[in-house]
Amino acid sequence: MLDNFNRFVIPNIDLLAQGLWVTVRICTIAFAMAVVIGAIACLVRLYLPGLRIVAIAYIEISRATPILVQLLWVNYVWPELFGFPKTVEWAGIIALAIQSSGYLAETFRSGIEGLPRGQVEASLAVGMSRLQTFRRIVVPQVLLVMSPSIINQLAVVVKASTLVSVIAIPDLMYDALKIVNQWFEPIEVLTSVAALYILTIFLLSAIAKWVADHFREKYGLDAHV
Amino acid sequence: MMSETLRQSLDLSIFWEYRATLAVGLLQNLYIFLASASLAMALALVISLSRLSGKMWLRAISTCYVELFRNTPEFVLLIWVYYVLPILLSRLLSTQFSLTAFVASVLGLGFAYSGFLSETIRAGIQSVPRGHIEAGVSLGMRERTILRRIVLPQALRRMLPEALSQLVSLFKATSIVSLVAVPDIMYQVSMVNVDQMQPLPLYTGAALLFCLVIITATQMIQILSDRWRRRGWA
Amino acid sequence: MKLSMDQPVSQSRPIVECRNLRKAFGANEVLRGISFEIPSGVVLSVIGASGSGKSTFLRCLNFLEQPTSGEVFLDGEPMGIRLGKDGRFTRDSPANIARMRAQIGMVFQQFNLWPHMTALENVTEALRQVKGMKRAEAIEIGRQFLGKVNLSDKADAYPARLSGGQQQRVAIARALAMQPKVLLFDEATSALDPELTGEVLDVMRALAEEGMTMVVVTHEMRFAKDVSDRVIFLHEGLIEEDGVPADVFGNPASERCRRFLSSVVH
Repeated sequence: MLDNFNRFVIPNIDLLAQGLWVTVRICTIAFAMAVVIGAIACLVRLYLPGLRIVAIAYIEISRATPILVQLLWVNYVWPELFGFPKTVEWAGIIALAIQSSGYLAETFRSGIEGLPRGQVEASLAVGMSRLQTFRRIVVPQVLLVMSPSIINQLAVVVKASTLVSVIAIPDLMYDALKIVNQWFEPIEVLTSVAALYILTIFLLSAIAKWVADHFREKYGLDAHV
Repeated sequence: MMSETLRQSLDLSIFWEYRATLAVGLLQNLYIFLASASLAMALALVISLSRLSGKMWLRAISTCYVELFRNTPEFVLLIWVYYVLPILLSRLLSTQFSLTAFVASVLGLGFAYSGFLSETIRAGIQSVPRGHIEAGVSLGMRERTILRRIVLPQALRRMLPEALSQLVSLFKATSIVSLVAVPDIMYQVSMVNVDQMQPLPLYTGAALLFCLVIITATQMIQILSDRWRRRGWA
Repeated sequence: MKLSMDQPVSQSRPIVECRNLRKAFGANEVLRGISFEIPSGVVLSVIGASGSGKSTFLRCLNFLEQPTSGEVFLDGEPMGIRLGKDGRFTRDSPANIARMRAQIGMVFQQFNLWPHMTALENVTEALRQVKGMKRAEAIEIGRQFLGKVNLSDKADAYPARLSGGQQQRVAIARALAMQPKVLLFDEATSALDPELTGEVLDVMRALAEEGMTMVVVTHEMRFAKDVSDRVIFLHEGLIEEDGVPADVFGNPASERCRRFLSSVVH
């Protein structure tokens, strides 16, 4: 088996590294977008009563649609409908971002609604405006308490990214399957790639858990994963 | 231009035209869901009880199991089960072993979700207050009776909303089986698209269909959970 | 604390005045018409059973609760409301409400320290955000007030590391740093373990002796008896008993007040 490893994985290490880079790139951009979109959706839902229904609809739909369906829909329907995305990579990024933004919006909402009322009251009582209260008291605490969940969502994005090969994005899975189809020796390549994914996601989960414990100890906040 | 394409993508008549084929595909999703859900729950029960066992080796193995399957992307697991497992088993058993895509999907999804479900069951069991158990002990009940009459009924009710929510995720995940050529609804949609070249209504229709099923299921779970909570169950 | 005999004329106006204060939560009327005046430098204790409206009354004073009817005046200025041209009161602008709240200090039962900030940062936050002070100046004042509550050495500690009594003292310093006209205490020691209440009550006692105007909702009868200038007993949203501690505790006119006092362990 080690012999096969040398025959199929090592020579293709460049290809796999390229695929890995694509995966990393897609995941980080999509995650960053998801955080922004999710924050906007959450704030609209909570503080803009006129657009509340729109925000809720967006959140529910983005969470109810499987990532595969979203990938195909963004890739094949959006260019006709909206004129973009122009590349498959952006289609993948947008689909991943939409998928996670729904969960993140709910995460932020649960953080904001879970903040003890006394925190806001103490802030108002000392003369701070609602905006100051939100900026200095609510947001920092929500981010601290929700950071383990947010980090876990990055792990979810990485898991979902394994499907982007279906719209021909040359990510890690795409390259791995390419090698398998070429040489019909799947064991070493697939197991190595699987191990890489598992390790990365495990690392992210471990970081999330550590962050939760650290914040609980330092600030007494009930940061949960 | 855009309103024309918008109208086109919402013109689901083609979806309706091929409804028979697509319905057969959806049935595949349902079968795979039922099979993998059963597998996942059976495994989850065993693993969760192992995690709580007094024997250290049992706890260690089950913890590794949970960490492994919770951190593995479902698609990666599916591919691995479909391509690698048959070869490994063939070598191990010295026979020609092959898995149909259907079986591979059930195994892959079943094992993948058993990790999450086992943690849900474990949390449910551990959330039963110690005081309830101690009350049973002080009344002279045996451990087996306590487990059966006090702990498990409460654990079940406490974990049900979360477990149902994970099963909904499992149903969403069955969409990936099209990628190993299981003729589920997404596969059928792609086939029709190859034939008719009308991606707009087809993919929009597929998205709407999943949305409908999932949102309905999620809402029902929410209503049931609220009702249970009001009755003081969960 | 004792009222000074030679008060300047400008201080003859009460610091806090409420007129016919009513507050209902839905169908439940908690305050049924409270009228009261609190002169400068007076320590007022508010006692009563749970549900008598003590906390609601206090929270109306800094508009954390909006009265259903009736008015509160802070140093002559209406709190939370403004007088319209038609002679009726409407809700004031958020900026005005915040400005007036900055002149009132409140200490909460649950401390409500901001956990993501150190003790010093908790104290300086309002100085910087509300009064616009520069960081260095705010820190200097913050340290000063932390010293006043004997917590200079805990300036850089996070609330999670402080005991309940220490947290409450930081909360008092936070309120004091704004140099408010009146300090409101909402059952400040009720959430503390018995051995920690002493350190907080000592701080409150010292503030009273310095002439701070204080409204104290409390269950600590000894404190109310020893430190207050005035005591009011609330029952079901109305003032049932009102007088100096010697009278209210020694010889209450109201039967309900008598029963309440005898049921409370001194």
